[in-house]
Amino acid sequence: MSRLSDRSTIGAWWAAIWPYRHFYLFIAPFFVLFALFGLYPLVFSLYLSFVKWDGLTPMQWVGLSNFRTMLGDEVLRRALWNTLVIGVLYIPPMLGLAFLFAQILNAQWLKLKAFYRAALFLPCVTPMVVIAIVFGLLFSSEKGVLNYALGFLHIPGIPWLTSEQWSKVSVAILVVWRWTGYNMILMLAGLQGIPEDYYEAAAVDGATAVQRMWCITLPLLRPTVRFCLLLSLLGTLYMFDEIFVLTNGGGPGTSSLNFGMYLFNLSFGSFKFGYASCVAYTIAILVFIGTLITNRINRQRGGEA
Amino acid sequence: MSVRPRPSPTGMTRKRLSVAALLGSACVALLAGCAPPAPTTDTAVPVTTARPSGAITIWSWNIAAKALQGLVPAFEKRNPGVQATVDMTGARMSTRFMLALTAGVGAPEVSQLQMTDAPRYIATHRLADLTAVAGKYRDRFPPAQWQSCELNGHVYAIPWDTGPCAVFYKRDLFQRYGIDPAKIETWDDYIQAGKTIVEKSGGKTRMLPLSTNDLESMLEILLQQTHGQIFDEQGRIALDSPEAKQALDIVRQLRQAGICSDVAAYGQEWMAGFNDESIATYPGAVWLAGTIEDTAKDYPGKKTNWGVFRLPSIAPGGDHVANSGGSVLVIPASCTNKAAAWAFIEYALCTQEGQLAQYHSSSLYPAYLPALQSSTMDAPDPFFGGQPVGRLFATDITKIRRLNRTQDWGEATTYLQQGLSEWASRGMPEGDLLEALAQKLHERLDVPLAPAGTTPVAQAAGGTK
Repeated sequence: MSRLSDRSTIGAWWAAIWPYRHFYLFIAPFFVLFALFGLYPLVFSLYLSFVKWDGLTPMQWVGLSNFRTMLGDEVLRRALWNTLVIGVLYIPPMLGLAFLFAQILNAQWLKLKAFYRAALFLPCVTPMVVIAIVFGLLFSSEKGVLNYALGFLHIPGIPWLTSEQWSKVSVAILVVWRWTGYNMILMLAGLQGIPEDYYEAAAVDGATAVQRMWCITLPLLRPTVRFCLLLSLLGTLYMFDEIFVLTNGGGPGTSSLNFGMYLFNLSFGSFKFGYASCVAYTIAILVFIGTLITNRINRQRGGEA
Repeated sequence: MSVRPRPSPTGMTRKRLSVAALLGSACVALLAGCAPPAPTTDTAVPVTTARPSGAITIWSWNIAAKALQGLVPAFEKRNPGVQATVDMTGARMSTRFMLALTAGVGAPEVSQLQMTDAPRYIATHRLADLTAVAGKYRDRFPPAQWQSCELNGHVYAIPWDTGPCAVFYKRDLFQRYGIDPAKIETWDDYIQAGKTIVEKSGGKTRMLPLSTNDLESMLEILLQQTHGQIFDEQGRIALDSPEAKQALDIVRQLRQAGICSDVAAYGQEWMAGFNDESIATYPGAVWLAGTIEDTAKDYPGKKTNWGVFRLPSIAPGGDHVANSGGSVLVIPASCTNKAAAWAFIEYALCTQEGQLAQYHSSSLYPAYLPALQSSTMDAPDPFFGGQPVGRLFATDITKIRRLNRTQDWGEATTYLQQGLSEWASRGMPEGDLLEALAQKLHERLDVPLAPAGTTPVAQAAGGTK
């Protein structure tokens, strides 16, 4: 039944489905919604990549012109570079902290675990509007809490949100604060999946705490860490609300403009739906290829569990 | 391999979902109305003596929606057959209005648009042609506003409110530091007064809030005063001009004088400044008064004593006016009850009664000139210590220069804002910023540069009154 070309095969195919129609009906809503809100936009935006369209006037077929524009797009390059820098600034500290907190929460001696877990998870369920107000007050160069604190240490105030150098750092700090808890929960799940027996056996063999960490915890946690890393990388690319609210959509200049924000500006600021689709598609394909390559490398290393 | 959607570590999923949903609904809208009706001659609103009837929906936002809501009873009394509903659709209204226009279905009978967005929508030919019914009102609106509503001599929108600018100042602080607002004639005087205040207050009080990210709106105000333009009349980029340079120089002087507070417009500290001593003045449009009044009334402690003086001019004897903001009302071409829709717009915007009612209820400053001649404009305003500020804002309102707004306006201002904040965060280096910006606009918008040496024609200065 590999080919469905002639009628009898389709008939056979249909005959195979018909007895189970109720089951298909039950799973249909997902597929209908997916086709409407997932598949259709996906295909439609592929088409949009080849047209010029502002949403109001008729579409104009421009062939590969969008792709040519993209090659010379200096703002896109800047946005991708910013994405990389912001990622490098926040991912290591965030994953490090998440690992540390997960270790502590996994410890036998800790009381009130549920409370700490909830407290650390709270930032990522806090509405962005609230976060924006609070961090605006923290980072403000005029009366910000951070600069006030620095004043006590006789360090001159830092223009957190008004200088091109510091705006990325400010975004990174906000992201670390907001998403450490989420990654901690993932790592905690990973830690709890490591059987206790290994540690007991290691203890019997006289392994030190450092050795247990190095030879048991870290290797067995590697898939989880890799998963967190992948999510973080993708998250950096499409990060939106943090930048939208904290640096006024990528300011000053384009110093904290990341890829997601740039796409938003293109489509809903400049109404260049065709060009925005083209950029989005190209980057998505690049990311897909990148993921394939890293997966392949990992598998060759025999890393994937 | 089946991957279930998970929230990403940086929380993109929710936003991405909503953007996807928006795109999704755009697609559905497209499916629903694959071939939007081509504009035909019946997109015009004809003159008729028949009584309008039927139900109409008006899309509007925020305080403006409330103002219209207040008009509904009187309007329905005048037009017994019409039921008007004001839909305060709030967030992303302009995007949804655009989608509805694209789809050819789902648009309301009347919608609000930002004045700055109007040319973009008008250029699509999906708005009803109001020339036959509205042409007679041409002389009753400030020319700068009216021209944003026209394309090739046809009228597609009616100006609603305007945003004449002035400077809101704190009387107590001015008195304490010995500044006489009547003596502030030019921006130079303003900067000098600012320096005095900063010095005498020991740096505690700054003259105005002007952060790195808010320079673009300041530049727009100053461009109107120097008669500069971003686009010339043919829609070419005219930013690299002596007039624009003059405007930029004033921005530089303001920032370099050390009198600006680096707080973001409409941020927490900016609002907090309404009632403390951190900021002495807020240059801004007339609608800022409502925001100050509304926000500051809940603040604890002694209330600030506010006053208003006219916008400083570039040079002695120059213009003291500029406009910032303002809205219009439009009728989509696809509207099936244009007569009732027009009846509503005409009552709300083209009568003294309608406009003054909105001025009193929601401080929407009338674009309709006869409303400005009403004696109620001379009434002392208790919030401003009895100063008749309504008259102050009306002064010379027809002298406001129009900035040529093309359909690329929104995108252009985004690049300007980026360029200016970058410039400011690098310490405002000398060198030709405007030339670089004009070049950038030229490349990004794919719009030609205006030939060098042609001074952009500032339009419509002459008083029609």
